[in-house]
Amino acid sequence: MSEAMTHIERGMAALSNEPVDRLLVSPLSMGVQRRLIGSGVTYREWAHDPKLFAQSFVEGYKTYGPDMAVGLMDLSVMAGDLGAHVRMDLENTPFVDEHIIHNPEDYEKLEVPDIRSGRSAVLLEGTKGFAQALKDDIICAGFVEGPLLALSQSAGAERLFMDMYTNPSAVHGALEVMTDYDAQMCEGFGKTGVAGLVWDYLWGNYSCLGDAEYHEFEVKYANKLNKLTLDNGMAVCVHNCADMPHLKTQVKDYKTSIYSMAWYPLNPDSPSATKVIEEGYADKCVMAGNIDPQLFIRGSVEKITKVASDLTKEVKTALCKRGLNSTFCISSGCEVPPDLTTKLENIRAVVDTVKKEGNLAC
Amino acid sequence: MSKEELYNRLSEAVVGGKPDITKNGAEEALSLKFNAVETINEGLVKGMSIVGERYAAHEVYLPQVLMSAQAMYSGLNILLPAIPKSEMLDQKKCAVAVVEGDVHDIGKNIVKTMMTASGYHVFDLGKDVPITVIVDTAESENLDVVAMSTLMTPTMDAMKDAIDGLIESGYRSKVVVTIGGPPTSPSFAEEIGADHRDENAQNCVTWLKGAL
Repeated sequence: MSEAMTHIERGMAALSNEPVDRLLVSPLSMGVQRRLIGSGVTYREWAHDPKLFAQSFVEGYKTYGPDMAVGLMDLSVMAGDLGAHVRMDLENTPFVDEHIIHNPEDYEKLEVPDIRSGRSAVLLEGTKGFAQALKDDIICAGFVEGPLLALSQSAGAERLFMDMYTNPSAVHGALEVMTDYDAQMCEGFGKTGVAGLVWDYLWGNYSCLGDAEYHEFEVKYANKLNKLTLDNGMAVCVHNCADMPHLKTQVKDYKTSIYSMAWYPLNPDSPSATKVIEEGYADKCVMAGNIDPQLFIRGSVEKITKVASDLTKEVKTALCKRGLNSTFCISSGCEVPPDLTTKLENIRAVVDTVKKEGNLAC
Repeated sequence: MSKEELYNRLSEAVVGGKPDITKNGAEEALSLKFNAVETINEGLVKGMSIVGERYAAHEVYLPQVLMSAQAMYSGLNILLPAIPKSEMLDQKKCAVAVVEGDVHDIGKNIVKTMMTASGYHVFDLGKDVPITVIVDTAESENLDVVAMSTLMTPTMDAMKDAIDGLIESGYRSKVVVTIGGPPTSPSFAEEIGADHRDENAQNCVTWLKGAL
């Protein structure tokens, strides 16, 4: 499909709200792209081998032609390298099944692991692999868990939330360690060649934390890491697939360049694409979302094409009404499920629909 | 101390997340020969209901809900054993479970709390629960409700497997099945044969009142 702008030209234009030939499109397809490698590799192999990790993104670009590549592995990388036990099924997203924080004293035992080993190293090396291969073609970004998320993966969210009340100093001590760990990862990503770093600040979510708790337990750490991201030559990007994200803090206060979010239509407080544009969040930030990831498994090509088409129309209308040129990326609200049953043709359907219908002529 | 004063103290302790006060208050209620069920309902449950309403209104958040739940359970642990079995015959029974292959249980625990606060006898089957355990518990405990959750996409099919297991066992028609978790949806619930799917625990409890 021949287009008037290159992916990089389009991406850079959108980041400055300049006119584009069409809207950006980039479903968050990561682990599922392992299926594009030869006769396919297992999830376990993909999550342990930087070459396979990198190759999957290269194959994803060649196959579907999205505007971006975002290097999410899974959310147990940091906790695993800190010592938590990670359940690593052959074809399932790995997850922590044995935490390392069992009492308040355990918070003090956390130490930043050597990021030159473990899956932290796989993530950094794999990210470097796809960034070096693709950075001249599309916008490449690394992906890392924010300090509060990484700590919740290590302690368990329930324990952590209660300890915020009963042992706040212990939690803050651990968050300092997590922030140091994240800082090292950030500097590592800065050497990979990616243009942006996506921080997963999941707990900035009104279903879980109010402003007071979120500000106390993440914002001050995030501010430090966001600055470090810029200092290392990367744009600050944020992913938050929760239902009611702290948009003001995470988009405006963090001065985020690209913000990836989900939409839960059954929750009236979950903001739609139109609402986030109307409320000014796309004025200075490329907002991205919000196709239901489940559609990539359970939807037909016809169904997901219609959803992508409807979202494209909705976004174009809202952007034009707001006087904006390009600051929205049609994407999935969260990772395209890495399941064996995910319909790969649905990724292509979304990308092709936006390429065909994403022209923005207000 | 009057009943009203003690019940208010228990309720306020739940709202404030004070497990020591609810434990002591529950012990005091029993020593004063107050009815255990009434103490639960007028003290602990009343407090948890306030918290549930405030959570739904975004006035309090998960840390406060979890602290309140801890306070409620601290009192329940004292009061529940004191209830004569004859008074529990009409109590509805529910099992909550994170399905096999998943260990993310914070949502399940919130559901458990709200169900308990609504008067259910809740069997917490835990996380990564095999289908056979769900089916066997439904039959052996004569459950009225099975509530299942998962956070992850690959484990959603375990919900269908559990419902299929209930059908095979012949127990499906006797139990209401409700599901939850971010990747689930009402259409998924319909697809797998569940009766309901909800966004939050409080709404689910309200729905169940009409369904049972």
